[in-house]
Amino acid sequence: MNLTIGWLYPDLMSTYGDRGNIIVFQKRSEWRNIEVKVKKISLKEPADEIESCDLLFMGGAQDIQQEIVNRDLQQQKGKIIIAALENNIPGLFICGAYQFLGKFYKAADGTIIKGLSYFDLYTENPGPGVKRLIGNIVIKSTLTNSEIVGFENHGGRTYLGKKEQAFAKVVRGFGNNGEDGTEGIIHKNAIGTYLHGPVLPKNPELADYLLEKALSVKYKKEIKLPSLDDLPEQKAKQFVIEKYF
Amino acid sequence: MNTIIIFVSKLSLFFIKNLFNRPGSTWPGEIALRLNNNFIKGILNNSSLKIILIAGTNGKTTTATLMRFLLEKNSKKVFQNEEGANLLNGIASSIIKNINIGGKFNSDTAIFEVDENTLPLALKQITPSAVIILNLFRDQLDRYGEVNMIASKWQESLKYLTASTIILNGDDPLINSLGKDLKSETIYFGVSKKLMKRKEIPHDVDSAYCPQCGSELKYDAIAYSHLGNYQCLKCGFKRNGAETYEHENINYPLFGLYNIYNINAVILTLEKVFELPLVQIKKIIASFKPAFGRQEVIFYKKRKFIIFLSKNPAGFNQAIETAKEMKGSRKHLLIVLNDRIPDGTDISWIWDVDFERIAGFSQIMLSGDRTDDLVLRLKYAGEKGITVKENPEEAIGTMIDVSVAGETIYVLATYTGMLEIRKILTGKKLL
Repeated sequence: MNLTIGWLYPDLMSTYGDRGNIIVFQKRSEWRNIEVKVKKISLKEPADEIESCDLLFMGGAQDIQQEIVNRDLQQQKGKIIIAALENNIPGLFICGAYQFLGKFYKAADGTIIKGLSYFDLYTENPGPGVKRLIGNIVIKSTLTNSEIVGFENHGGRTYLGKKEQAFAKVVRGFGNNGEDGTEGIIHKNAIGTYLHGPVLPKNPELADYLLEKALSVKYKKEIKLPSLDDLPEQKAKQFVIEKYF
Repeated sequence: MNTIIIFVSKLSLFFIKNLFNRPGSTWPGEIALRLNNNFIKGILNNSSLKIILIAGTNGKTTTATLMRFLLEKNSKKVFQNEEGANLLNGIASSIIKNINIGGKFNSDTAIFEVDENTLPLALKQITPSAVIILNLFRDQLDRYGEVNMIASKWQESLKYLTASTIILNGDDPLINSLGKDLKSETIYFGVSKKLMKRKEIPHDVDSAYCPQCGSELKYDAIAYSHLGNYQCLKCGFKRNGAETYEHENINYPLFGLYNIYNINAVILTLEKVFELPLVQIKKIIASFKPAFGRQEVIFYKKRKFIIFLSKNPAGFNQAIETAKEMKGSRKHLLIVLNDRIPDGTDISWIWDVDFERIAGFSQIMLSGDRTDDLVLRLKYAGEKGITVKENPEEAIGTMIDVSVAGETIYVLATYTGMLEIRKILTGKKLL
């Protein structure tokens, strides 16, 4: 089997060690003899590169980088990303990328930044007077039926539309907005989440969930991946759960 | 009023030192500032001290310590705030230590290293002779926030200076861009192009885009991280003709490219702000001994330990490169990762470190509070044959067993890890 991963804006949207997620996708595929190719798709690359990808990933960024990316997304690439996600291509969108896929982002000064409206959600930044949501976080997802750990650091508060399903429930930490106990979103096979850490190394079941989905969609049949020795992964996850909670 | 404050805070310093056996590098200053917000301003306005502020993510302590060393060798009387005590209370504490009850200093120069968030606050209190800005990398995002945010706050505060000398790293695009529209004289340091050996931008980079127009910067050579020779093809923004000294046959007292930057910044400042001739600097610079934990060498049980404080991707990658370049047939590597408050509680940055480039060590030992995360990171870097001892004391014991006398053990550690290792190796507590 082979798999093409589209890494969207790696030079602009990759903060807080987000590239660790790509390393995990890559290694966990290789360990199972799946031939994997990572396509870096940024400003210079043509939008149709996205069409050949079986799995999409996009990390978080700082404000200035986000502005640059947003301009690019509003042209060609945004439409093609949405078309891919509509076709059940799985994706993992962290923090800023997660917000982009919503309807809009209301900045601290009231400016509305339009999103791609793939997810029915919006995000508001309450301004510099209100604390950023920062710290270790533990959530429980029905998707993987496991506890997932990460590190969150976001000023924006995200609110999901009524019909949308959260990615997980907050066990400890803030999640989408620090109020309603939801974290992230799952829509078709696309996951949006605030979890950095990076999220995948300590939560290999989530990485495998996305890899299996990607292969199943690609090869049009239910694919189950053989399990791996995840002792170091589980140990590191358990450490966070016990230390902070 | 300030006389009373000096008295009270000096008294507290006395008690902290003698009763609690602590250095008092922050509390006396904290007390002074609580009694008078503008304590620093009031005191310094009435003094003839030449003040140098040093900011930047990496290299502050080394730069400050080297500058002090060279100035003192040239008969200046210098004091500096203690390493790590780089908030306003640390600056105030160092003032209290070095001023007499009559409000007079016994020094002519003060060197203050300032934390990223403190520079704008410090500039409200202090009118420095010079501000040195070394670099800006991702570091402790949980504490400092993102680099563009920091840079814009710095730029805002530098604009108010009219008669200082601003010394900027011209090889760092974001730092270079701070020099735009300043009223003060602005000069630039860097390294020569022949030292820029990398062609590809590494992934720990935040500034590969033009700080002025947002277009992609074109690099033809890279020193490390985002430092290099760059230009923006769209708006014309480019590396500033930076001052370098490598062709001057200087005996650089520290290893690694990142230290050439620090040293060049010091030399430029001494030449331009203190009018110290280069020949004079060259004569004494080789005898400099590094600040603690910054390539500090400690001999312990006949092994040579070299300690590299490594607390963010840029610093860590430079430490790995430097250790790799150093001579020796059998080299040992100890990595200590802690996540206490001084280290930063977010350790996601280890995924931006190029552990894939670790090669040529006979032994790699992982230790510290977050050993499990290091194990995981190295598993995904494809590194096998790693030894793990969470407890640093046991880690060092094992490394001694595996190595033989005369071999070198490189220690890459976050802040509190570095302190622990030093304590084990020297048998005494510092700070």
